[in-house]
Amino acid sequence: MAKVNPEFATEIKKYGAHDFNACFNCGNCTATCSLSDNNSSFPRKLVRYSVLGLESEIEASIDPWLCYYCGECSTTCPREASPGELMMSLRRWLTAKYDWTGLSGLMYKYLPFTIFAFLATALAVILFAFSKSFEVDTIMHFGHQFEMWAIIIVFTAILIPNLARMWWFVILKPKIKVKFLTYVKGMQELFTHMFTQKRTLGCDDSQSRWLIHLIIVLGYLSLLFTTVVLDWFGTNSLFIILLGYAESIVLFTLTFIFVRGRIKKNKELNKFSQPSDWLFVIWLFLMAFSAFLVRIFIDLDFIETNLWLYLFHLTVLVQWAVLIVPFGKWTHFLYRSFAMYFEKIKQPA
Amino acid sequence: MKERIGVYICHCGGNISDYVDVEEIGKMLKTDDGVVISKDVMFACADSNQKDMISDIKEYKLDAIVVASCSPKLHLHTFKNVAERAGLNPTNYVQVNIREQCSWPHSDKPREASVKAAGLIRAGIKRVAYSESLDNIEINVKKAVLVVGAGVSGMKAAIDLARLGNEVYLIETDYFVGGHITQTENLFTTGQNGKEIVSRLYAEIKSYNNITLFTGTSVEKVSGSLGNFAIDIRIKPRYINGKADLQAVQNAMNDCTVLVNDDFNFGFTKRKAIYKNYPEALPDVTVVNAEALKNEKEFLAKHASCLDLTQQDEILSLTAGSVLVTTGFDSYQPKEGEYGYKTFSNVVTLPELNRLIELNPDKLIFNNKPVKKIAFIYCVGNRQTKGENKYCSRQCCSSAINSSLQLADKYKGINAYHLFRDIRTYGKQELMYEKSSKQGDIYIRFDEKEPPVVEQNEKTLNIKVKDYLTSKKELEIEADLVVLVTGMVAREDSKQISEKFKIPIGTDKFFNEIHPKLKPVETVIKGVYIGGSCQGPKNISESVQSSLSAASKINALLKGGTVSLDPVIARVNNDACVWCGKCAEVCEYTAIKEIESGDKHIAAVNKAICTGCGICAPVCPTNAIEIAQFTDNEIESMIDGFMEKIDLKVREKESESTEEVSGVKMKEYPQLWKNILETMNGNKLTIPEISEKLEVDKDIITYHVMTMHKYNVVVTEGMDKKELYYYYKLKN
Ligand code: SF4
Ligand code: SF4
Ligand code: SF4
Ligand code: SF4
Repeated sequence: MAKVNPEFATEIKKYGAHDFNACFNCGNCTATCSLSDNNSSFPRKLVRYSVLGLESEIEASIDPWLCYYCGECSTTCPREASPGELMMSLRRWLTAKYDWTGLSGLMYKYLPFTIFAFLATALAVILFAFSKSFEVDTIMHFGHQFEMWAIIIVFTAILIPNLARMWWFVILKPKIKVKFLTYVKGMQELFTHMFTQKRTLGCDDSQSRWLIHLIIVLGYLSLLFTTVVLDWFGTNSLFIILLGYAESIVLFTLTFIFVRGRIKKNKELNKFSQPSDWLFVIWLFLMAFSAFLVRIFIDLDFIETNLWLYLFHLTVLVQWAVLIVPFGKWTHFLYRSFAMYFEKIKQPA
Repeated sequence: MKERIGVYICHCGGNISDYVDVEEIGKMLKTDDGVVISKDVMFACADSNQKDMISDIKEYKLDAIVVASCSPKLHLHTFKNVAERAGLNPTNYVQVNIREQCSWPHSDKPREASVKAAGLIRAGIKRVAYSESLDNIEINVKKAVLVVGAGVSGMKAAIDLARLGNEVYLIETDYFVGGHITQTENLFTTGQNGKEIVSRLYAEIKSYNNITLFTGTSVEKVSGSLGNFAIDIRIKPRYINGKADLQAVQNAMNDCTVLVNDDFNFGFTKRKAIYKNYPEALPDVTVVNAEALKNEKEFLAKHASCLDLTQQDEILSLTAGSVLVTTGFDSYQPKEGEYGYKTFSNVVTLPELNRLIELNPDKLIFNNKPVKKIAFIYCVGNRQTKGENKYCSRQCCSSAINSSLQLADKYKGINAYHLFRDIRTYGKQELMYEKSSKQGDIYIRFDEKEPPVVEQNEKTLNIKVKDYLTSKKELEIEADLVVLVTGMVAREDSKQISEKFKIPIGTDKFFNEIHPKLKPVETVIKGVYIGGSCQGPKNISESVQSSLSAASKINALLKGGTVSLDPVIARVNNDACVWCGKCAEVCEYTAIKEIESGDKHIAAVNKAICTGCGICAPVCPTNAIEIAQFTDNEIESMIDGFMEKIDLKVREKESESTEEVSGVKMKEYPQLWKNILETMNGNKLTIPEISEKLEVDKDIITYHVMTMHKYNVVVTEGMDKKELYYYYKLKN
């Protein structure tokens, strides 16, 4: 027996959902959603659960991750209940739910907190530079070290435990029995999705969206690899230098296109951008663009006299690594892939 | 006896003549007694034929006519009008139905159909020979109307009737006017307070000196009929001395310490035994609860100048030309234990909730606890597929949602759950539903088969329900207050009222109109009308609409001072009547009274009441009572006419041949169809082409070809691209 909880609506509205109460269960959203299959009543079921506030059902559901926000449902909803936006908000809510630190929730719900966190990290970077008497080499060396450690710590301390929590909510708590072998077999699904976002191909509108998305993911991962492992800023290898340039150019150009899209609000999914959506693309853009400039400055031997640029890049990087990656929208990339994985292994073979 | 009779037999464009040999019958009847002319006509109802009939009547000085054609339901009045236009009394007209009764049902036996038709027409001729010229009955009517029930419907109707110059007696059983709407602070969809509406209507009523209002008054006895109803009313006393001054009454009220349950607030509060429903209640006269005060000797003695418990009911007699019944409805009262009603203290009905809302201006408190979560359960006492009240009350969905909006407006932090079966917020009320669901009210759909179950928790009520919108997921809802959205039922006293006025009631116990679409406010009792929700569930606008339409009907009826009634009623042969009383016994309308005539007692028929139903005629042992237009002479002569031998030369018509055109059995089709098929003769033709070839009007061809197409006799094949007409051809 599930308890009806009207407070849930208030809570989920803080994550950006609106008007979904107006739903009168016509099912148009399910009919138009190109990702809904015959028996899933998707996304109407989640709209209904949210209206009723059936928290434990939602918490155990991976459905929100299966939506790629083409916005078709919101366009056809006769009650303007914005089911697509609700799905987006449920993803934010789930992210907060999985996150053991609780910081995700704070960042999604309270803009001032997010601003404060970003300013604090910026201040920390400047204070650190001050403590090192603004020495370029030391700072750049630290920067490189930081990247490596940040990745390790964020993963072990935050992302892996959070994934474990997701596993608990989705599989263990609802007492779904999954054989060990199934876990192993499903791995393939996990990686395909992580890198290709294969599911978006099912969306009617998004052949190009899927491609851009794929390039951004690959561009981001390889730039990360180039800077962290191949030490782009320190290397003398022409190949690596050019590779880094190419990757960063691709990344900031594409993210720029994304940002422009959000500003123009030309698509349904862009109508209600939240601060977290903005942060994600803008920071990705800033990161790629500032990295690109830093490397140019290095090549032109300007960097010694223009330490501010590196500090700017470092600030963006730190904010990205300690705020956006563990607590922001970056995690969606991870949870989405795992959701597909769990979905796969949940099905009885 | 009529001796110059005209007979017209209609072909109905083949509908009749394809089976019934109208020409032969026409010829045969020419020689019947009294028949001056007898002819067959293509379309009797056509304007041209009507003109011919009129000139025949004048030229041949016809004194009666018979038309043998379709059902009188269709054309009785057409031909009565023809008679009238030709200066003939319409009662000297008889219609014989040889289409629905001969050609259509006996299309397989044309000869027999013809013989039967001939017999029926002959019966008609015999009957019309005995027909009398009757004039409509004129009755003087009193331009006064009794309106029973001073709710919003009755008050509105009274005002309109008075404005149009009628004397109006408006009576109300309660001591105060307004009815149910005074108990609601916010009425959908205008948001007005019911009390304000009532005050406004009351002020208007007071401005007409031809409206007399009686409160605390009920109908005691009704006699008389249309034009002159004699009504006795019973007025309950208020136990206030009529001559007492207002201050003294006010003092007594202030002084009174005896408290009783306040019925106006459903017992949620107490009121003094000297009271008004609410401070502004109208008329502005207090009432004494005599029962509660009867032992307060000291108090009574102190205020003896204004209180008078010895007052008795008063009976008053009124005369009215017409009656409008607007007695309204009762709210369904849930049975004990129905969804926990009366078992758990926090289960109330919607009208009760509306009182609570008005009684709690800032915070909603019930049973000393604040109320935050409210669950509405819909359709209580209504739409019972197995139970008594099968109907939907139309207004409760809207009313419940309106209250829910009001709750959200008036109090902070209310959560509302709506457990509904279907939401019926038709018309503009839909906007309220939209607003409510947008504001976050939770709608849960249940089925009658699996109704919600209300249980008591330690602190709150707990409702279990299967949500049909979440594939019957079992849900649990905590609520501080459960509101049963109760519908409307017929008033408890509707049976008594119906007996007094003889208004029929339906199985649902609401009053019945004659016809829901065509005579929606008329009852079978002449002069008695119904309006508002005494007729069935209605919201306020609908109630007012119906009572106003009744008011205008009544005004039209009484306007001229006389009404003219159909002369087909019972009449008594005074010489033969011996007053056995048998006719009076069987007459359901009590139209027959015993009167003195010379030295004996006889039966007399009240012309205004008699409906001509005829039930009295056969029971009379001396054959003293008969119905005009259905006299023994007329009926017996019809039978004789029908029994006479029919000497009909029925020619062996082609219609009986088995001739086929292109494989289609021709005998089943009307002549025009056969002509069309012959014209086609296996080729495809457009409608204009057929029309040209047959020289028949294009509209007629269109109608027939479409019908043939519908019955699959012809099919379309391609299109004339230039003219944009379909080609039709015979179906193989
Ligand atoms: S289309 Fe809109 S109203 Fe219809 S079920 Fe989906 S969310 Fe509800
Ligand atoms: S946004 Fe697109 S993918 Fe998501 S639920 Fe709506 S229609 Fe389906
Ligand atoms: S109006 Fe609504 S609540 Fe009332 S009986 Fe009809 S469906 Fe039920
Ligand atoms: S005809 Fe009918 S209504 Fe008239 S007096 Fe006879 S029984 Fe009564």
